[in-house]
Amino acid sequence: MKARLFLALAATLIASVLALHAQELPQILVSRQLATLEGLSVGDTVRLAKDAQGTRAREFRVAGIYEPTPDPARLGSVPREVRLHLPDLLNLDLQPAGAEHVDSINVALVDPDSAADIARELNTRTPGVVARPAEGAAGLGSTFIVLERFHFAIAAVTIVAATVFLLALTIMLVDERRETIGVLRLIGFPARRILLQVLVEGLVIASAGALFGLALALASEGLINSFFQWRYDTALVFVRVSPGVAATCLAIGVPLGAIATVAASWALLRRGALRLARR
Amino acid sequence: MTTLPFAWRSLVRQPARSTLGVLGVAAVGALLFDMLLLSEGLVVSMRDLFERMGFDIRIIATDQLPAGSPDIRNASMLASKIAALPTVQSALTIRTEDADFETTVASTNDGSIVGVGEGAPPPWTVLRGRDLRGSHELVLNQHAAETLNVEPGAMVAVRATCAGGSEAPPSLQFRVVGIAELPFEAPEESAAGTTAASLSEACGTPQADIADFVAVTSTGNPDAAAADIAAIGAGLRVFTNEQAIGQLQQGGFTYFRQISTVLSTITISFALLLITVLLTVSVNQRLGEVAALRALGFSRNRVVLDVLCESALIVGIGGVLSLPLGVLMATWLDGILKRMPGIPAELHFFVFEPKALLVHGSLLAATAIIAALYPMRIVARLPIAATLRNEVIS
Repeated sequence: MKARLFLALAATLIASVLALHAQELPQILVSRQLATLEGLSVGDTVRLAKDAQGTRAREFRVAGIYEPTPDPARLGSVPREVRLHLPDLLNLDLQPAGAEHVDSINVALVDPDSAADIARELNTRTPGVVARPAEGAAGLGSTFIVLERFHFAIAAVTIVAATVFLLALTIMLVDERRETIGVLRLIGFPARRILLQVLVEGLVIASAGALFGLALALASEGLINSFFQWRYDTALVFVRVSPGVAATCLAIGVPLGAIATVAASWALLRRGALRLARR
Repeated sequence: MTTLPFAWRSLVRQPARSTLGVLGVAAVGALLFDMLLLSEGLVVSMRDLFERMGFDIRIIATDQLPAGSPDIRNASMLASKIAALPTVQSALTIRTEDADFETTVASTNDGSIVGVGEGAPPPWTVLRGRDLRGSHELVLNQHAAETLNVEPGAMVAVRATCAGGSEAPPSLQFRVVGIAELPFEAPEESAAGTTAASLSEACGTPQADIADFVAVTSTGNPDAAAADIAAIGAGLRVFTNEQAIGQLQQGGFTYFRQISTVLSTITISFALLLITVLLTVSVNQRLGEVAALRALGFSRNRVVLDVLCESALIVGIGGVLSLPLGVLMATWLDGILKRMPGIPAELHFFVFEPKALLVHGSLLAATAIIAALYPMRIVARLPIAATLRNEVIS
């Protein structure tokens, strides 16, 4: 009985010491991908070193698992990363006092609009250091902007192709109603009145088509994002039907459809009523 | 009259809709052609770049290509050990760092400097002047030479920003001995080449013997050389050109392949749908005419074949027109994508391959056949007497 009590006390003591030890260890955050690969979870103790040989390795406690900020420039590479406090990183490096260095310093300004001025002043006052406003750091030629231009170019070509087909279809559809239009002209409907009717019809059809297209885009948005997020193991959003994009689609699609209908009808309406009604 | 000229006459009779149909196929076909060029373009272009550099194998310190790998320590010793292998012809250490270049009158920032070891010719092509012979000598790329307005013989101050450097080193004077075309240089980026030792000096760490990667030329069998190098067991990753390309295909390059697959699928579906509609409406408008032809003695197969030929003519003419249009578009789109930061001037996103042309032709042929199926069915099942009666009554 005494021995069992002693063992229980000893076990509790060891567990407390280990828990206390774990509490004292410096903390790190582990990227979700690394945690999955290495089977790490919150509370685990890991050893980190700056080289593969494990020179001057130190123990850390996993305080949390984080989702890395999606970065299109690193698409396809698995972010096996940990985040640790800067003093802990410098300790790992064992640089002599005064020789520690960092890659960059992020500065939050009271007045963000003054970023350019402050960067200019810092560049003047501190030779050897490059200060850049965060907004401008991406630059005009950044990957995002280039990809946006590329997608815009593809969209433009698609619109041209769609317009050509649309014209061909409307010409055929209007041609199918040649006799009806001829009869309407014969019973006294002026060409302008018929053209207005065609325009309204075109607007209704184009609006319905554009709305259907938007609904299709919204429905496929989740599918496309899910596929690519699974494929690249990233939280990056690939497709987003924003209100701006939806408005642009409507602004292009509806007038284009209406204009195509009117353009196709125009040639027909210029013919004489008798010629239209004649079989 | 044979089927094809007959189908041609049917199309010519309705010039507006036929022209628009052909133009639509041309535009869609051009987009499809470009997407096929894009799907393998980067890989083909990268393989070409690798081959032009003349190395078979790359040795780096991590399994993640292309960038972000840690430095290789004791690089020259490793290169010597590798060069001594019987399957290896030569091994060259290569290190790249950021650098700014300055003369007394001009400067260029955000450039790069490549430091190469000994044991193999450097990976650049000298255009003017000569190659490196000693320390503190430099070859500049054309852009840097133009920006700094220097020619061989001039002095240039180099301020290198090196990974792992604890402080910003002072600038170091180099003599420009040649103007060269450097591998992987980006358009409008200043770049220079020097010796590994001179680069270490410019980094403020003259004793450092590090490299980003070791480039190896085999004696003719890259796989055997890669196996021998791996057997050295320095904890490094060894990639033959094909393996490196494979890694890139699995990595960032897949984005363009996926985009290309998605857009090709959408494009071809779009073309299929619209050609089907065009032909169906066209056939529906000519039912009486088709019935009359059948009554005159045209066989069912003949009228069905007419519809198929019409589809083939629209898609065929559109497909042929799509090729020059696609080439023009590819040049335009390549120009857009090459503005991405850090893309080498010699790398292309859209690269022509005979396979792409074959796939393009096959996809369009399949589209022509599938798009014609429904209108062919309508024509095949057309009741001759009833259709003619309806035509007369209406």
